[in-house]
Amino acid sequence: MIQRTCKGTLTFPSMLSNLYIVKNEVRNYRRKKNLSQAELAEGLGVSRQTVIAIEGDRYSPSLPLAFRIAKFFEVPVETMFDPSEEMVK
Amino acid sequence: MTKFRYPRLVAPLAVLAIGTAMALAVGIGHTWTDALSSEITIILITVGYYFLTGSKGDVGAIYRRRTDERQQHVIMKASRLAMLVMFALTFGIALVMVARNENYWQEDVIGSVGGVSFFLGIMIYGTHEEDAAGTSRGIMASDAVKGIEETDDIAPPM
Repeated sequence: MIQRTCKGTLTFPSMLSNLYIVKNEVRNYRRKKNLSQAELAEGLGVSRQTVIAIEGDRYSPSLPLAFRIAKFFEVPVETMFDPSEEMVK
Repeated sequence: MTKFRYPRLVAPLAVLAIGTAMALAVGIGHTWTDALSSEITIILITVGYYFLTGSKGDVGAIYRRRTDERQQHVIMKASRLAMLVMFALTFGIALVMVARNENYWQEDVIGSVGGVSFFLGIMIYGTHEEDAAGTSRGIMASDAVKGIEETDDIAPPM
C-alpha cells in the first residue's frame, strides 16, 4: 500500500493531470435506498455535483466526508470505499 | 454582525463599487468619455456576476461562497491556473516593455508580489516541522538507533 501512494506520478508536473481515486459503492447504496442524488447531497451537506463526481469516480471524498457517507448508509467505511480498487485518473 | 438581506447582491455590488471608483479615477485623470465607457463595462460585468451567482452548479456555489470540499478543490485549481496565467502575462508584457525601452517596474512589482505571496501562502498554510513534536526526530534519535540494534532479523556474521 505504501508503495502505491509513493508513485512518481505524485510529483510536479504530472500531478496536474493525475488524481488518485478510490472506487466506491455510493451509487449502488443510494439506489438500494431509493434516493435521488439531490436527496443524498442534502443528507450529506454537499452539492449534487459533488455526489455526481463521487459516484462517477471523478472525486475521492475527504476522510470526514467518507465517514459521513458510510454513517449515512449505516455501513463500515471500508465497505463503501474499496482501497484495493484505487486508480489513477 | 448583521446579515445583509440580499446576500446574492453582495458580490455584484462590491464589483460595481470598485468599478465605479475606477471609472471615477479614469474621469478625473483622463476624460469623462473614457470614464463612461469604463462604467458601462463595469455595469455589464456586474449583471453577469449577478446571473452567475444565481446559477446552479459549481460556478453558482463558488460565487455565492457556499462551497463544499470538492468545490474548494476547484477553487484551488482555478486559483493556480489564474496565477500561472497572470505570471505568463506579466512576463510577456515586461518582455515587450523592455524591448521597447519603456518602464517595466509595474510588471516587476506584480510579478514579485505574486511570487512572494505564493511562498508566504506556503509558509502560512503548510505544515511545519515543529507541528510534529516528537514524531519526526530523524534516524539519529537514540530510540531509533536502539530499534535498529534490537531487530532480530539481522543475519549473524559468517
